[in-house]
Amino acid sequence: MCSVPVKKPKTDIGPPYYYDMLPEIIKENYGKWKYHEKIKPGVLKHVSENGAELYTVRAGSPRLLSIVTIREYADLADKYSGGHLRFTSRHNVEFLLSDPANIEPLIAELEAKGYPVGGTGDCLNNIIHTQGWIHCHSAATDASGPVKAVMDDLFEYFKKDDLPAKLKISMACCLNMCGAVHCSDIAFVGIHRTVPTIDDAGVAKGCEIPNVIASCPTGAIRPNPKAKSVMVNEEKCMYCGNCYTVCPSMKIMDPVNDGVAIFVGGKVANARSGPAFSRLAIPWVPNTPPRWDELVVAIRNLVEIWVKDARKGERYGEWIERIGWEKFFEMANLPFTDKHIDDFIFSVPTFRTTTNFKY
Amino acid sequence: MSEKKRPLLEELKKGPWPSFVKEMEKSAHNSKTAELLDLLERSYEDKTGHWKHGGIVGVTGYGGGVIGRYTDLPEEFPEVREFHTMRVNQPSGWYYTSDALRTLCDIWEKHGSGLTNMHGATGDAILLGTTTEHLQPCFNDLSEAGFDLGGSGSNMRTPSCCAGPARCQNACIDTLDLCHNLTNTFQDYLHRPSFPYKFKIKISGCANDCVASIARADLSIIGTWRDAIRIDQEAVKEYAAQGYDIQGLVVDKCPSQACTYNAEIQEFTVDNPNCVRCMHCINKMPKALRIGKETGATILIGGKATIVQSAFLSWVIVPFMKLEKEDDYAELKDLIERIWEWWDENGKVRERVGELIYRKGMREFLKAVGLPPVPQMVKHPRANPYFFWWPDEIISSASGDAEAEAAAGAEVEK
Amino acid sequence: MAEFTNEELRAKILEYLNKVDKAKNKDIATAIGAVKRDVDKVINELAKEDILEFLYLGTSYVRIKGKE
Repeated sequence: MCSVPVKKPKTDIGPPYYYDMLPEIIKENYGKWKYHEKIKPGVLKHVSENGAELYTVRAGSPRLLSIVTIREYADLADKYSGGHLRFTSRHNVEFLLSDPANIEPLIAELEAKGYPVGGTGDCLNNIIHTQGWIHCHSAATDASGPVKAVMDDLFEYFKKDDLPAKLKISMACCLNMCGAVHCSDIAFVGIHRTVPTIDDAGVAKGCEIPNVIASCPTGAIRPNPKAKSVMVNEEKCMYCGNCYTVCPSMKIMDPVNDGVAIFVGGKVANARSGPAFSRLAIPWVPNTPPRWDELVVAIRNLVEIWVKDARKGERYGEWIERIGWEKFFEMANLPFTDKHIDDFIFSVPTFRTTTNFKY
Repeated sequence: MSEKKRPLLEELKKGPWPSFVKEMEKSAHNSKTAELLDLLERSYEDKTGHWKHGGIVGVTGYGGGVIGRYTDLPEEFPEVREFHTMRVNQPSGWYYTSDALRTLCDIWEKHGSGLTNMHGATGDAILLGTTTEHLQPCFNDLSEAGFDLGGSGSNMRTPSCCAGPARCQNACIDTLDLCHNLTNTFQDYLHRPSFPYKFKIKISGCANDCVASIARADLSIIGTWRDAIRIDQEAVKEYAAQGYDIQGLVVDKCPSQACTYNAEIQEFTVDNPNCVRCMHCINKMPKALRIGKETGATILIGGKATIVQSAFLSWVIVPFMKLEKEDDYAELKDLIERIWEWWDENGKVRERVGELIYRKGMREFLKAVGLPPVPQMVKHPRANPYFFWWPDEIISSASGDAEAEAAAGAEVEK
Repeated sequence: MAEFTNEELRAKILEYLNKVDKAKNKDIATAIGAVKRDVDKVINELAKEDILEFLYLGTSYVRIKGKE
């Protein structure tokens, strides 16, 4: 596509060297930070052993960013933080300032451009999420849309750091769970509820049958030699969609029945109690674009009962551990169903084996 | 572009949280992005995605870093007939200069949709949407500017790490240096997939685990220490003077009851041998309490999401490893290579290393990679009496040799 | 498992890949009776030389570039 001969590109050069990205104040105090303070929601102050002070201003982003916005970030960084910034693992942008006089002007400009400052300490942090309908072939629901709707609704909590503890919400648009949402305070996940429809000709032509059979965690797929394809045992299928990932001719999308499941009580940090999985609270809410009203209402309810009842310092799961799951379902006004009782591979240790419980 | 054309997406421009629809519209002068908006509106009507699985796309010599994407409605939406993703390996800790970001933006303006994810879940900067024709020229420009691609497919995925010692007092290890070093050492494994399936490495500087390595990395490296928490008693007094509830919010929540606070003399103490280094007290009183000085990392293995056989949190395999820059992290790299060799030899197609350990047994794994069993590896020992013995642990009845029996007995006691 | 020179490995790998649509490195190593690590190295060289390419179908495979 180019008339000038292209010189052979260098390969395997690895990522840009992080050290070249750091501001002077960080280079001077690398590994010498002593403590940090939370100045206010979205603003951190790190103090080093020799007294240097570094200020971080954090703003939320929708993760899906236009280069127009990234260039705006770059301009803001030039203006206020000597051209230095970073991103967090939860899609926030952070400006690294050495002059505290720049904090308020930067915040004012960020807010004016619609980039909210917050998400530190005992705030609601940004929602980790996946691609959804913008770019993924296996999405059971959109990702950016429901995330936007939920964050709009919970916006106040992104800017307030007086929650009982941190609140981390995550979203995955199918059970592949690219965002690894399974250890979040609140997680919502796109799910299927019907078995895949098999396009025999497509399977025969385009799929590795042994891989399709092996992809099923419940052994529900067996060969269909006549059609050079496979069959699905409907009683065993748990709709994970892994066969579809391996073989596009195992279509699992079902716009009427696909929906969103909500899990609660997971965490990653080892602080106090160890890392924990999120557990099922609501097996299915309908997939209702453009604003996912049922999902938004359900999550607000889950957040509010925790805010109201948890003690200071209790993450979502720690709160439930204290009050008990039976009390959680009562307080959340949620029905407890057979879906909540595990019947997958490692189910047995989740059954109650003591007479200690509440009514 | 008339706004009325997309009434459903229009609803997602409302509200206080930044709108991804507005982000897309900012790049909608690009015909691909404009049509992506139309395709997304269609998905909102149909309640289903309109993307197909990847085909064979890549750049010369690489088997990862490019994800092929095609719409299933190519006649109606020809501009996004091909809409591939490129994963660009991020600098450690996601630190950038404004110029580095502008360089990325310029390259992506020239070759793609102008849409990105900053960043993807694995850690890469995601460039979202280009054609097959543009892949190699885009890569050439990236390479010329000092960027390289990340991983995808059955390879080592792009390692990632937390903010590290650049901006955190809790970094027990230099996560940024280690991440950069491992990424560069294992370039072949990152770019040219030869494994049964994906292998993720994530590095957190302390047990707060800001990159969630324990939940989503096949190999989790988490900073820790093995001496004593450093206490500044003057700073403790300041917390007390400000009315901070040290007893209620710190001491009472210590999971191993290793903290004590004497309110009379405003003194905070830690029973270090009984401290499990969870970070709680340090998180709550950062001015007064600091990580220890003899630092290293705990190495854990097997973390993953539910697909296929269930989600696993990573399991401890090395309670404490000194991570020395001076010897180029030789001990860790050697361990990683041994893990890969065993997994590669024994793993089935699409079997993560955690699933393989579950299938073959932890004892097989530990023996193969040469790690001794230690109590830190388990929550509790097994409760069943079903266990394997190695052949050399069994007394051979044929030999009848008392010395051999005694030797075998001694071996068992070990 | 036999010891092969680099040249022998190249020839054997290409010979095998000419017979099949695509393969995983491990299957190639098994088929030609070579050590997988050595096979990986040669496959990576051949990929860098633009003779082989990788494809992804639920897992990664390698094949002669352009071979359908």
